[in-house]
Amino acid sequence: MKQLWRRLQSMAGRRRIESGLSEEIQFHLDQQTQKNIRAGMTPDEARRQAFVRFGGVERVKEQTRDEFRPALFEDFLRDVQYGARLLRRTPAFAAVAILTLALGIGAATAVFSVVDGVLLRPLPYPDPDRLVRLFQVDASGRRNNTVSEPNFLDWQRNARSFAFMAELSPGPAPVSTGGEASMVSGSSVSRDFFDVMGVSPAIGRRFLDDELRVGGAPAAIISHRFWTTRYNSAPLSGLTIRIGGRLHQIVGVMPPAFDYPPASEYWYPRELSPPQTSRTAHNWMVLARVASHLAVEEAQRELSAVSRAMKAQHGDGTWMSDAAALPLREQLTAAARPVLLLLFGAAVLLLVIACLNVSNLQLARASTRHRELAVRLAVGADRGRITRQLLAEALVLATAAGAVGSLIAYGGVRALLLLQPANLPRITDVRVDGGVLLFALAAAVLTAALLGLVTALRTSSTQLRDSLNEGQRTVAGGRGERVRQGLVVAQVALTIVLLAGAGLLARSFMAVMDVNLGYRTAGSTLIDATWNSTPDPGLQRRRVDTQRDILADLQRLPGVQSVGLVSSFPLGAGFFPNGRFLEMTRQDELSSREDLARLGDQAKERAGFAGYRIASAGYFAAMGIPLLRGRLFDERDGPDAAHVAVISESLANSKWPQQDPIGRFVQFGNMDGDLRGFRIIGVVGDVRELSPETLPGPLFYAHYRQRTASRISMVMRSQTPSGLAETARQVIRRYDPDVPLQVRTVEDALERTLAGRRFSLLLVAAFSACALVLATLGIYGLMAYLVAQRTREIGIRLALGADARDVLRIVVGRGVLLAVIGVGVGIAASAGLTRLLEGMLFGVSATDPVAFAAVMTITLVAVLAASYLPARRAMGVAPVVAMRAD
Amino acid sequence: MLVLKALQLEPMHGWGITERIEQWSEQVLQLGQGTLYPALYRLERQGLIRSEWKVTANNRRARYYALTRDGRKYFADELAQWRRMSRAINLVLEAAL
Repeated sequence: MKQLWRRLQSMAGRRRIESGLSEEIQFHLDQQTQKNIRAGMTPDEARRQAFVRFGGVERVKEQTRDEFRPALFEDFLRDVQYGARLLRRTPAFAAVAILTLALGIGAATAVFSVVDGVLLRPLPYPDPDRLVRLFQVDASGRRNNTVSEPNFLDWQRNARSFAFMAELSPGPAPVSTGGEASMVSGSSVSRDFFDVMGVSPAIGRRFLDDELRVGGAPAAIISHRFWTTRYNSAPLSGLTIRIGGRLHQIVGVMPPAFDYPPASEYWYPRELSPPQTSRTAHNWMVLARVASHLAVEEAQRELSAVSRAMKAQHGDGTWMSDAAALPLREQLTAAARPVLLLLFGAAVLLLVIACLNVSNLQLARASTRHRELAVRLAVGADRGRITRQLLAEALVLATAAGAVGSLIAYGGVRALLLLQPANLPRITDVRVDGGVLLFALAAAVLTAALLGLVTALRTSSTQLRDSLNEGQRTVAGGRGERVRQGLVVAQVALTIVLLAGAGLLARSFMAVMDVNLGYRTAGSTLIDATWNSTPDPGLQRRRVDTQRDILADLQRLPGVQSVGLVSSFPLGAGFFPNGRFLEMTRQDELSSREDLARLGDQAKERAGFAGYRIASAGYFAAMGIPLLRGRLFDERDGPDAAHVAVISESLANSKWPQQDPIGRFVQFGNMDGDLRGFRIIGVVGDVRELSPETLPGPLFYAHYRQRTASRISMVMRSQTPSGLAETARQVIRRYDPDVPLQVRTVEDALERTLAGRRFSLLLVAAFSACALVLATLGIYGLMAYLVAQRTREIGIRLALGADARDVLRIVVGRGVLLAVIGVGVGIAASAGLTRLLEGMLFGVSATDPVAFAAVMTITLVAVLAASYLPARRAMGVAPVVAMRAD
Repeated sequence: MLVLKALQLEPMHGWGITERIEQWSEQVLQLGQGTLYPALYRLERQGLIRSEWKVTANNRRARYYALTRDGRKYFADELAQWRRMSRAINLVLEAAL
């Protein structure tokens, strides 16, 4: 405060001191002059000598001013004003520079706000760093996403490092709030879930003990979002929600920020259904809160010890060899991390390129200002002052750019969120807030420092005499030119790095699009239908009949070529169950669970592993999955006939290499509890189920009329897919008005799995396009400047009889030389950096020659174009004009 | 240091100080006279000297600088320090071989 007061005071007294200083120096000079006169000099000589003895008056004044507090600060303000005035005088330069920087700052800030929201910001729960997710680790060291209930209960009993532990099972279920049912995500959660999260309902209450038992009154807690959209924020008393056919009383509403598991709209007690006793039925996600006196690592150690003891006790009875506790935040965002870091890297590169570009512009301008600066140097301003002024100018630029950049970032974030809704975790936490703006500010200040320093270094290193002369006429490149050329080379190199990244991602994208999925996607409509599961065989039978009738009706719709159903549609969001089957010698070899378990342990060579699907014959036709051998399901394979199965080619090849699988018997009853064996009747082509990137796995298809699935997807192949969806919905509604339906095209489903890849490709491509434009502008600017500077030289050459083509060659040659150096450096850097991308590439290596060649070609063409235009101008130089150019 | 020494006897203006220093040093130390002023302003800011405008013998306005109490103390300290140093250096340089 005192300091500030002194500053203000001294600023007020500033004018007084200034005039005092002048008077004082004048007095000094007069005294010296008089002394010289007394020593016998003529008055003129005496005065001159006095000045000589004194040194540069202006210089002394400048230095003395530096001693005033707060001279530095005030100088700085004046420099800023001066800088702003200069920029106003050159609006074109100012606009280009500010826009360029704003683009860089805006891109970096937008991506940073996403990185901040998703990766950096703590989860919105109390003490979020203590939240961990627990995983079973199997013998091969892999973490399993799910845990069996007995293992969870043992952890809960034995591991002392956790204050609370809960199991939950998230997923969509048919939900009705009065009207038509739809699939809504929610979770069944065990008693301590809300203690683990450390959050209670904002309205209403948690579950009571009486609601936490088999046969208890079904209760549910819903999300704030669900409450406002579905219930119009109505009072809770009497509100109900039907989840999977069971009516739950709504007893609470969570706070708006609560979003775990992501996108859950409701939570209900796991304890409503009976306990699960199989130690190998992996159905649960486990969350825990580490006790407050322990570090996560300590908890991890104890959990690991407890789990190894469990393994020792149960042996083959559990697949768990060890366990892991991972911070929830890391685990939530692990998948998005590499993509976001990649984008952030790209955005920062773009910002650096923008800086280089503007720096280059400033240098070009500085060289036209040489005389101004040289004059200031000559009258005694010291280099530090000039550096400070250039810094202040850069700061003015960067601040303006930061402001514009923040606006760009704001729009950019909104665009990003539109582009990538589903695949990014914690998307609701992304926003442009104080922290993000602080980042923009920091980016702007850093930019300014970089800009100002580069420019100042270059400018103030110039010798005074040189500047005064150089301003007159320049023949060929001086020091400054080398700096500018270096900047251009750096720009080209960085652009190459970005382009190479974009090229590799683009090649990967094309490779993914090119992948043979094993099925057709064009022209197919997909309807997901979910019935409530039931243990009643009569109901199951009726449901299968309904499904058959629906398929038949859909088949009769005009334009429909084929219709089929499957339990897990490829590219879908559902489950892809898989498990161990046993080969048998005859269809009815096994008839009890005990037999199955015993044989499974005795005869390992009989066992095989496959995904278990339920399908109709029409599914293969509608999807275009080829039948390779044997036959598909047909009328013979009714509910009462011997059960049959179709297997995929990779299952046939891995389980029965060089043998015919057809006619063999298989027991796969552990998947649905039905112990009737299967006879294999056909082999069909492989499909890529999870995504285009994952290799096809071995698949086993049972017939839908023999084995039931409550959740099915119907595929319709037709010539006129548009409009079909609504008709199909009406057909199904005629049979069952309540079953939740989701209709989309197969292409949409594919699109969804590609969304993440498209997102990173689009952004990196956009960044590299910007970078390319900036680098091209940079080269164009440099070339134009060189041509302007060398007008005289070119004129002389032309006058002496040089061919216009030679001139072209000189100018373009210079541009190309710079570009080639830049490309060389860039390719070398890319070869190292693209390795970081490896995880995101598909079907191309990190040093893919095609991508690199394309990148080089694009860059060189751009550079050629950028140097050709100024060269054309050089060719047109009339010698006479050139000679007079000064 | 030299400026402080020059001001020990009486308040003086800038030109006087340069004259005094040159005189004492038998014209060996002929600094650019201009370099004096930044030093004066710095010393004043540090509170070692203070200044006031006075009228000179031949009736001109001039700024006179005078030592403050801090200045005197500082000078004494520095002088002692300087003596120690220069004595040490002399001892080394003149050491009989």
